[in-house]
Amino acid sequence: MSDAVTRPLRPARNWALIIGAVTAVTLMTWWSGRGIRFSLTELACNLPGGRRLLVESWPPEFSFFPRLLAPLLETLQIAVVGTVIGGILAVPVAVLAARNLTPGFLVWFVDRNFMNILRTLPDLFWAMLFAAAVGFGPIAGALALTVFTVAVISKLWSESLEAIDMGVPEAVRASGGSWLQMLQFGAIPQALPHYVSYALYAFELNVRASMILGLVGAGGIGMVLETQRSTFEYPRVTLIVLSVLVIVLIIEQVSESIRRRLI
Amino acid sequence: MTPGTTLQPPAGIGWATRVTLVIAFTFLICAWAIDLTPAALANLPRQMAMVLSFFYPADMDYGWSRVLPALLESIHIAWIGTIIGAAISLPLALLGARTLFPRIARLVKLISATARAFPEILLAIYFVPIVGLGAFAGALAIGISSVGMLTKLGAEVVESIDMGPVEAVQAAGGSRLLALRYAVVPQVLPEIVAHWLFRFELNIRASAVLGVVGAGGVGGVLLNTLRYRHFEKAAAVLLLTIVVVLIIDMMSGAIRRRLLR
Repeated sequence: MSDAVTRPLRPARNWALIIGAVTAVTLMTWWSGRGIRFSLTELACNLPGGRRLLVESWPPEFSFFPRLLAPLLETLQIAVVGTVIGGILAVPVAVLAARNLTPGFLVWFVDRNFMNILRTLPDLFWAMLFAAAVGFGPIAGALALTVFTVAVISKLWSESLEAIDMGVPEAVRASGGSWLQMLQFGAIPQALPHYVSYALYAFELNVRASMILGLVGAGGIGMVLETQRSTFEYPRVTLIVLSVLVIVLIIEQVSESIRRRLI
Repeated sequence: MTPGTTLQPPAGIGWATRVTLVIAFTFLICAWAIDLTPAALANLPRQMAMVLSFFYPADMDYGWSRVLPALLESIHIAWIGTIIGAAISLPLALLGARTLFPRIARLVKLISATARAFPEILLAIYFVPIVGLGAFAGALAIGISSVGMLTKLGAEVVESIDMGPVEAVQAAGGSRLLALRYAVVPQVLPEIVAHWLFRFELNIRASAVLGVVGAGGVGGVLLNTLRYRHFEKAAAVLLLTIVVVLIIDMMSGAIRRRLLR
């Protein structure tokens, strides 16, 4: 054997697909780059002012902290109310959207699409809508988080419900149980740990979201953030951002440790 | 046990009931604190129905001329943010895998956790004064928070791979870089690209919101129409946002399913 080394065959490549994908991504990126109007001159004009602001925003103005306590508490209250109401409302939405439990195709179809539409709008859009409907304040925030919670829990939990063992629900039905008894004794107990886990996850998301709801007037610490931001009080903005981060991280740690034990 | 008796779970208050009671009690205190009284709740449907009636008919002229360009800008922001996130997170995901780089991995995971802790909109609050009002600030904010999540998910994918090919490349005399190129990347790429697409779906929603702090996109338009009580125009914003997000979700979902098959 001189230089005739037999190499394994290279796997065939679908060049048309690769070239097509690369071209599409490149074009989309080029188009988007133009779309966001990135310009170096503008960046250069803004940077000096931006640097001054960044320098100013450290250290945070700690003496402002006592005035944050009440709004921070209100923020957590909004998150609790939104999670509890949303968590309860999510149960029927999830059950009707689970293919194996739903009483009929039409109900399933309508509910599934309702769920998908709920999920398309971001949390702050709901907050703006409710602020317009019921006025600025924490109630608007709690309602927005209610909708957001329903969207999150029902989507995740309906998938867990679809994965349960159908033997028990069928046994309940076979022994003469009604549809509701089938849910109560056969289906829901199996997926209950998942429900609790998703509810805690939704609470984490809600605490995070409730911190910014105030930017559109829906109560909580975000409203303080908005006034300080629009008057360029960045030392205070930094303090608010830091306290938000600390609370979010604490809640996440606690909730995650509970969730790990559940499943 | 005589025939006819049934086994019952033990009676009494279990811990589940206690937890439920604590939650119910907390909820009542919180609801009372934010003035969500039963009367206010009973009043809600009427209030909502009244405001919703203002939303009809949607002002679609405004929709086509003003909302669609803003939505397009939101998509651009989300795309650039995703590209930034994908480009930075790919090497970080490899470095963050415990199985490949045990020592660096911990540092990388710390960085990604920090990036994830900031909601995009708080990042945008800092980027807007630094790089100027507009979409570029939004894209940067979204890019950075995407790096956090994509690094975490990517590292998990890399940690779950079959280490056989890596050892094979190294046994055949390949360097570590070659092992990454020929043994790791081909295994993880489909799943990682699927995560990019999923993040793009999330980024569309995130970028739609950023307009609230002046970082471009459709959020600012919605805020203004609602502030000046142009409900027909707000209806156009909502309608178009829902349709566009649904279409993008469907396209991205279809590609993701094919990638993971």
